[in-house]
Amino acid sequence: MVEIVFLAPFITGVIAFFLPRTLGRPLLVFTGALHLLLSVLLWIRQPEPLFNAYFAITPEGMLSLLVISLLFFLISIYTIGYLKVSDIRSEHIFTGSMLLFLSTMTMVTLSDHIMVMWIAIEATTLASAPLIYTHRSSVSLEATWKYVLICSVGIAMALLGSVLITISMDVGGVDAPVSFSALTAVAARLDPMWLKAGFAFILVGYGTKMGLAPMHTWLPDAHSEAPSPASALLSGVLLNCAYLGIFKTHNIMLAAGLEDFSGPILMGFGLISILAAGTFILKQTEYKRLLAYSSIENMGIIAFGTGVGGLGAYGAMLCLIHHSLIKSSLFLTSGNILLGYGTRLIEQTGNLVNQMPRTFIAFFGGFAAIAGLPPFGLFIGELFVIIGAFKTGHYIGVTVLIVSLCAVFAGFANQAMKISFAPSEATIGLAEKSNLVWPQYVLLLTSLVLCFWIPDSLYRTIMTAVTSVSGGF
Amino acid sequence: MNIPVDMTLSLVLLSVLFSFGSSRLPGLIKVLAFQGIVVSIVPLIIGHDMTTGGVLFTFVTLAIRGIVIPLCIYIAIKKVAIRREVEPIVGYHASVLAGLGLIVAAMAVSHRFNAPSFSASVLLLPTAIALLVAGMFLLMARRNAIAMVLGYIMMENGIYLVGTTFSVRALHIVEFGILLDVLAGVMIMAVILQNIKQTFDDVDTALLRTLKE
Repeated sequence: MVEIVFLAPFITGVIAFFLPRTLGRPLLVFTGALHLLLSVLLWIRQPEPLFNAYFAITPEGMLSLLVISLLFFLISIYTIGYLKVSDIRSEHIFTGSMLLFLSTMTMVTLSDHIMVMWIAIEATTLASAPLIYTHRSSVSLEATWKYVLICSVGIAMALLGSVLITISMDVGGVDAPVSFSALTAVAARLDPMWLKAGFAFILVGYGTKMGLAPMHTWLPDAHSEAPSPASALLSGVLLNCAYLGIFKTHNIMLAAGLEDFSGPILMGFGLISILAAGTFILKQTEYKRLLAYSSIENMGIIAFGTGVGGLGAYGAMLCLIHHSLIKSSLFLTSGNILLGYGTRLIEQTGNLVNQMPRTFIAFFGGFAAIAGLPPFGLFIGELFVIIGAFKTGHYIGVTVLIVSLCAVFAGFANQAMKISFAPSEATIGLAEKSNLVWPQYVLLLTSLVLCFWIPDSLYRTIMTAVTSVSGGF
Repeated sequence: MNIPVDMTLSLVLLSVLFSFGSSRLPGLIKVLAFQGIVVSIVPLIIGHDMTTGGVLFTFVTLAIRGIVIPLCIYIAIKKVAIRREVEPIVGYHASVLAGLGLIVAAMAVSHRFNAPSFSASVLLLPTAIALLVAGMFLLMARRNAIAMVLGYIMMENGIYLVGTTFSVRALHIVEFGILLDVLAGVMIMAVILQNIKQTFDDVDTALLRTLKE
């Protein structure tokens, strides 16, 4: 029974709303461990879902699910340490929302029905809204308001897009279940005009949630105002969930032979995102916002790679996995920096290397990885995207991509050096307990190991996921 | 051509014009409640073969769109007793004129689209388009946070209208899920509104401009 993977955190999440903090914290880790166990079982056994009209196990879904599960487990361990030293008033709401958030994201990865996918993605917005408002300040309220309103309106567009796709079935005279797998099979008979319109609306809708520019405006605010474990979840896995919706719709377009329509649009949005991120990173003054813009940049690369297809799509999938691992580790590290220095401004930090040596290792390793230095996975992913773009002859696009990547690297490196080595008189208000650093180490190590050795089943899953997009190499 | 459906839909179009012209929040909420009710009964009179489940679901939709959601917002503004003006960026007269233009444009545009699902009524597609665009207009042309939420609800109503043709085939459980999401979304927005009021002593979104870059 596949559904138990998202039902379990849902139930514990509801329970957590009524538990005192002494019980809520262990429940968080327990659910994380249980979820990881269930996901791995799902991966090995690949059972048939109970409600197979709505849910299905797909390779791209399984990849995301494994990433979500591993990340949540590590983040839950970090959260225990984080909650002990930070001042969060209504902790039961925080814990409960984290678990509900996990449940809804799991549902996204397993949904196959177009509308169920929409329901799940909208539910992730609702479950994560209380997380952003955890600190109860006026700015976090503003961030929550922007997040809920912009994402709800954006995702409403995706609902319209999904409805338009069902109209394309009507017009084309297709009688099939309204699920991604069934539609991909009969895509050639769908009415192209309505299908194109549906794709455009879905891209704008889920693109808002994924953080593609110019619909990204909620993202830096939400990521910087949420407590760090929540930011790590938002950036590491929520964006992937939205991407999954776009990816699956793009698959329908490919099956319908409309990749000349959907590919360039994806590439366009991707490039705009990378450019926008590059511009804002160069003059960024807050490190959490810096990380948030870097997420927008990576989502841009992923969208671009998916649009390119072929080798690019494979690169995009690699970027997706590694970005999740590395960025969530960086957000957790930023939580340590915030607890230590008590400020979000880069100029008031500094000398991290001496002040917080263990955090420094996680931070600098994360920086090297996210900036795309070899041998980390993002380097390989980005390389594949660039080679793929050259092979398919998108010379202008790839030039813009490379130039923007340089800008992002320059901006990020500049700020990372300031945080790490600039002289600072700040007094550190945090003891670096081991559970505040080793989850980050594990995340970075996982990413590093995956560069050199990918388990065979994982490799095959990635290949199956991208075959449709890439059409073989 | 289907006279009862077209008459119902013309009521929806009228509600768009009213909403553009209303300056006070309670009035705007009433217009939205009316619109929610009318939009929800469209599937009933459109004349598809309705099962018992279908009829039951229509009434649930009606209860949520027409009563629960507006009530939610009404309670939110009652509780916080905010200034009951919508604080327009575009004036009321200009808004109504824009609304008229919008309806004409929606009629003109919808002729280009040709789908069997829309053959039930000539007004179905234009009304849906008008609602969508009108919702976005309210989102952009009003600074009051509550008016923005109402704009979002209007957009949802429009999408629901496009979806009614599809609902024949849809599984009610899925439709219900969508409805539940919208409801929960509006409730969360209502909670945020109360907090905004408590924190800033106003719901003018011009105050929400600290976060930039």
